Amino acid sequence: MVLLFILLQNRQGKTRLSKWYVYYDDAEKVKLQNEVHRLIVCRDTKHTNFLEFRNYKIIYKRYAGLFFALCVDVSDNELTMLELIHLYVEVLDKYFGNVCELDIVFNFNKAYSIIDEMIVGGEIIETSKQVIINAVKNIELLD
Amino acid sequence: MFHLSQMDQIFLKSLADVVRTSRTTSQYDKLTFTTQTIADIKNEIQSRQESVRYQALLKLFFLAMEGNNIRWAEFQIINLMGCADFQLKLGAQLAAHLVIDSQSQGLIMVTNVFQKEFKNGHVECSATLSCLGTIANKDLSDSLLTHVLKLTTNTKPLIRKKAIAVLSKIFTINPLNIPGNLEMVIQQLQKESNISVLACGISLFCSVMKVAPKLYPLFLSIVYDQISKQKSNWLLIKLVRISNKLISLEPRFQGKLIEHYTRLLNQTNSKSLQYELVYSIMKYFKNHSQLYESAGDILKQFLNHQDPNLRCLGLECLTHISSSAGLMEFQEQILESFKKSDYFSKLQILQLFKDFTNQQNFQTVIEFFLKYSDLESNHKIIESLIFIIMKDKFINVDDPEKLLLVYIPVIAQKIDTIDNAIRFKELLFELLTRVPGLKVYSDQLCNQILQTYAIQSDTLQGPTLNIVQRHTQLKYSLNHREIIFKSLIMIVGESVKLLKLDALTNIIKFLEQLNILNCYESSLSDIDSLLFKIYIQIIKTDPSNDIIPQIEQLIKNIYNKLHNISIVKISFFYESFILNKTKEQLQQLYNLYAEDLPPINLEAQKLIKPPEGLDITQSFQIDIEEIEKIKNSNNDQLEQKPIIQQLEQADLVSKEQEDQNTQILKQEENEEELKPLNTKTDPIPKKVFTINRDEELPPGVNQNDINQSKEEE
Repeated sequence: MVLLFILLQNRQGKTRLSKWYVYYDDAEKVKLQNEVHRLIVCRDTKHTNFLEFRNYKIIYKRYAGLFFALCVDVSDNELTMLELIHLYVEVLDKYFGNVCELDIVFNFNKAYSIIDEMIVGGEIIETSKQVIINAVKNIELLD
Repeated sequence: MFHLSQMDQIFLKSLADVVRTSRTTSQYDKLTFTTQTIADIKNEIQSRQESVRYQALLKLFFLAMEGNNIRWAEFQIINLMGCADFQLKLGAQLAAHLVIDSQSQGLIMVTNVFQKEFKNGHVECSATLSCLGTIANKDLSDSLLTHVLKLTTNTKPLIRKKAIAVLSKIFTINPLNIPGNLEMVIQQLQKESNISVLACGISLFCSVMKVAPKLYPLFLSIVYDQISKQKSNWLLIKLVRISNKLISLEPRFQGKLIEHYTRLLNQTNSKSLQYELVYSIMKYFKNHSQLYESAGDILKQFLNHQDPNLRCLGLECLTHISSSAGLMEFQEQILESFKKSDYFSKLQILQLFKDFTNQQNFQTVIEFFLKYSDLESNHKIIESLIFIIMKDKFINVDDPEKLLLVYIPVIAQKIDTIDNAIRFKELLFELLTRVPGLKVYSDQLCNQILQTYAIQSDTLQGPTLNIVQRHTQLKYSLNHREIIFKSLIMIVGESVKLLKLDALTNIIKFLEQLNILNCYESSLSDIDSLLFKIYIQIIKTDPSNDIIPQIEQLIKNIYNKLHNISIVKISFFYESFILNKTKEQLQQLYNLYAEDLPPINLEAQKLIKPPEGLDITQSFQIDIEEIEKIKNSNNDQLEQKPIIQQLEQADLVSKEQEDQNTQILKQEENEEELKPLNTKTDPIPKKVFTINRDEELPPGVNQNDINQSKEEE
């Protein structure tokens, strides 16, 4: 299961966090962000959380005002990716304590660190909440 | 490098300050703010104080996320990646993917930095591995391969799993690195007990199989070993996925997995693992009935689930059932889920039925989709239904009569796009060509469809097809209903000879009272042509001319309505025969259309050269002197004309008697055809119409003619 990119966007289309595991130039990244936001924002709750995007698939989930979107290969397991999104949100919540969008805005470096403990090179490497948080806390000790 | 004074440090903006200012600054002042901040960062990043540099780095990172270009800071960031302070190093490594790509010139420096970092503590090493996983390219991966391989034997599972994850990227970027190195990794994984490391190892195998599938025998034993003892759902999902690839390459592996798949399917409650197992079983385990049935039960639960995601995934699994008999088993659940599904899931279901509808479920499918079409998916549903009907020359249709009289009018009513109108037209023509005898219902079909259009006349507007007539250059636009109207009029016109006198008069009465004819401005010539054909047929079938005056009055009423439109063309038929009719003209018309037109002569298809001596450039304006010459030379012929006319009249009388006999025979045949359909007592009507699914031939041409012409050539 290889991820191509991760996007965290609010309802206005502002990207709060973006991690790219495949090379795209700057213009292409902006275009992708706009396209993904356009596709996701108009979807109802009755719609599925996955949709086809170019030759790939976008799996997204909305938490309050933030959309968490992952771009994966067409053959990848969608439910696993939904679980991954939920796991990330739970880790953020445990780390920041009742996480909100502003926590990610002001502490984006911490959010990126957490992602790096879960995903490396587009592959999921860790799924245990406790292990992830321990790794992030070890990093903080050295700061 | 410089040292900031105490005064400067007081006024130093932190990341939080920059973020707050950015959020409160208006769009017009943003450019000024950004330029000022970048200028400050350029100063601060060269400071000796690490806290100042760290803040500058974070601010730079923030500006990059806002959409600003920070590639000018590439060397500074790479420099910071190698500094002693861990906080700075980490910040730089996190920001690295924003400035470094495969074309970056600073990548050479990165190699040395990383080589140094790999010798540090496990936390720094782990952060470096994460960074390498994001920015790795061919040169970087080749130069760091040996270091990463060493790290796969590290005592810390954190380092081992990250090293293996980076290795899978390295092997994907440059498959030449695989031989020799992969075996070492496999040996280590066989002794590994940490689940995360094993999961990364399985991902590595998946990556290797994408670029070098022939290496699959190396993975078989370890995958089987893990699948028989693992309990972690994440790892099991990866194992099932790689097993799918292994089964496609080594079918004997399938037999080994049956027992484990059965156990997992019965024990697990995880929907993601169930989905993966069901997907695999539907695709590869069709021959194992017990396992297939268990998977089928779970699939039914997915299809009936309230969660639209699970319903969608259930449909995804169904695409792997290759037979329509297999799909029939799930038909009820699929149709139920259609009612609750979103647009994309509906398209999925329509695609399924396009592939797997057969004669047994054809009526159920058509009736269901016609009942549950909504505004959003209507055009796709109609497109799919037309496809299902016409598939393989109507192979799914066993009752063409019901199709024509019951389903087709409903489909015509629901069409709201031009593409579907054109498809509908093709469907009608194809159906009426392949099923001889169905044309007798053309008037009923026309009445039914046009009646509903008349009732719904408010919805005549919609997308239009713009057409320019070649010879007149007239531009007009057709909407979807007019396209259908034109085709219906043409079909009725073609079927006029099969219709009885009552049916013909009913058509004219219907057209006379129809109030939507005025909306079909572009179809006036078609209406003209239809009225002409009907008029001719009535003359032929009503020898006593009893109802002709009534018909003429109705036709006049129709033309009076049409003449209200400013752009209407004056009809030759109306002017010559309805308004200024003479008996002689009627007789001439009757004579002209007394017999069927001969079929197309195959020889006529060849090029005809112009005759010798003919000057194509010369104008052929009529010369009066020439006409008089021709007149004089034809005087003899004119004298003999009455004698010829007498002989012709005698022929006519005998022909009339023959025609009457043939008409009586035709009427009897029609009645016999219609008898079984008109009797209401028989609940299960016998099949009257057969569909001709042979190769298509032009009308009036026999296969024998074609064979003869081929032999002559």
